[in-house]
Amino acid sequence: MILSATHSFCSILTPNHSTRPYTPHLNVVSKLSQASQFSTSVTYKEKRLCECFDLYNELVPYGEAWSWQKSIVKEKKALIQRNQSCSDTLIILQHHPVYTLGTGSSEEYLNFEIIDAPYDVYRTERGGEVTYHGPGQLLMYPIINLRNHKMDLHWYLRALEEVVIRVLSSTFSIKASRLEGLTGVWVGLNKFVRDFFQLPGTFEGKVSYKDVTGTLWLQGQPSLWDQKLAAIGIRVSQWIAYHGLALNVTTDLSPFQLIVPCGIRNRKVGSIKGILGEFSSPNRYGPSDNNSTDDFQLIDITHKALVREFSEVFQLELALNPISIL
Amino acid sequence: MASRLWASKAASYLRLSVFHRGFSSVVKDLKYADSHEWVKFDGKSAVVGITDHAQDHLGDVVYVELPEAGTTVTQGSSFGAVESVKATSDINSPVSGKVVEVNEKLSSSPGLINASPYENGWIIKVEMNDTGELNSLMDSEQYTKFCEEEDAKH
Repeated sequence: MILSATHSFCSILTPNHSTRPYTPHLNVVSKLSQASQFSTSVTYKEKRLCECFDLYNELVPYGEAWSWQKSIVKEKKALIQRNQSCSDTLIILQHHPVYTLGTGSSEEYLNFEIIDAPYDVYRTERGGEVTYHGPGQLLMYPIINLRNHKMDLHWYLRALEEVVIRVLSSTFSIKASRLEGLTGVWVGLNKFVRDFFQLPGTFEGKVSYKDVTGTLWLQGQPSLWDQKLAAIGIRVSQWIAYHGLALNVTTDLSPFQLIVPCGIRNRKVGSIKGILGEFSSPNRYGPSDNNSTDDFQLIDITHKALVREFSEVFQLELALNPISIL
Repeated sequence: MASRLWASKAASYLRLSVFHRGFSSVVKDLKYADSHEWVKFDGKSAVVGITDHAQDHLGDVVYVELPEAGTTVTQGSSFGAVESVKATSDINSPVSGKVVEVNEKLSSSPGLINASPYENGWIIKVEMNDTGELNSLMDSEQYTKFCEEEDAKH
């Protein structure tokens, strides 16, 4: 499995490039400034301000976070009505265990009756199918006025994916990518290798392939193949986008087994901790050591990276707002 | 026209940058809102839907959130939503009035919006309060120009 940090998915574009999927809108300099702090990055253009509510280590009840988003959206709509400038907002937090459904979500993707649900279930107004949120998973709710960026939903979704892909690449050297037709961020085998060996998506057991010269091409658990690390679902109202993305860091993934995540059968859900764990000791099956200090650090590192990459991809300068929650 | 369509499909397959198709179909005799909804007024009721340009930008519509018959709608306000590519976006009404009929077929076949945005993909029928509102909307030529300008900004 190739784990080198590459930027093959970061295509550099000049401005005014047409918007087709998979091509994020970037300033040329953003790649150069990737390593620096977002507040002092080198840019030729002044970044717009974005207020940031950073609750990355707090478990916020889903209902409260949802109402909070809706009230922010309402404020922004009012600003736009009055023709005032409307900046963006970013909320980062975690949730207590909860399942959420999108507008068109089908209950057939739940392996339980809603009345008997193990956790709360919310039907929301975002797109996408059912997913699980819980401790160890970082949620980013950017409340973005797409008029300030591009009034293009495809672009916005690809940009959100780009944020996660960069975090995984630059901070963890995990090569993640998009899978055509499946919104979200996936970690899996290089497609060329997979096609070459005609490997299926997932199956149990260990695998090793040697070619005719005896060269070992890959070894290890195919459970690594095509795991979804981040799920995305948004709602747009008058070009203000909300809801956002969920990235599994140290999440306990067992609640995902009670649903068909995002309506995609035969694909696994993974976490950053899981991927890192697979590579530190490839013979180890089952859950890793329960080291809570490590978990905390992992979440902290990831959240900082998310904030940084978000600021880069969207060319926003984040202004931290202190918040006494609701 | 056909070769341009082929060229843009080939280009997007190869992931090349594509000049935007300037030829989303726009139907004469309809009125258009700048949020990409159309309205057809036959003297009695108004039929509302989203334009070809809108459905092209959205991608495959997987779900349509419909209002109930009898609901009041106001010009410029949201009355429902369409979901595609994990994003659900509001549909805004180009006119004010009362919803008299809703296209139930969209519940089972949301793809009608993509396949036939001006005919079978209609969304609601509205009994208008004030037909004067139609004057504040764009006609087909103005709307075509509006779309070209919007796409050029990207």
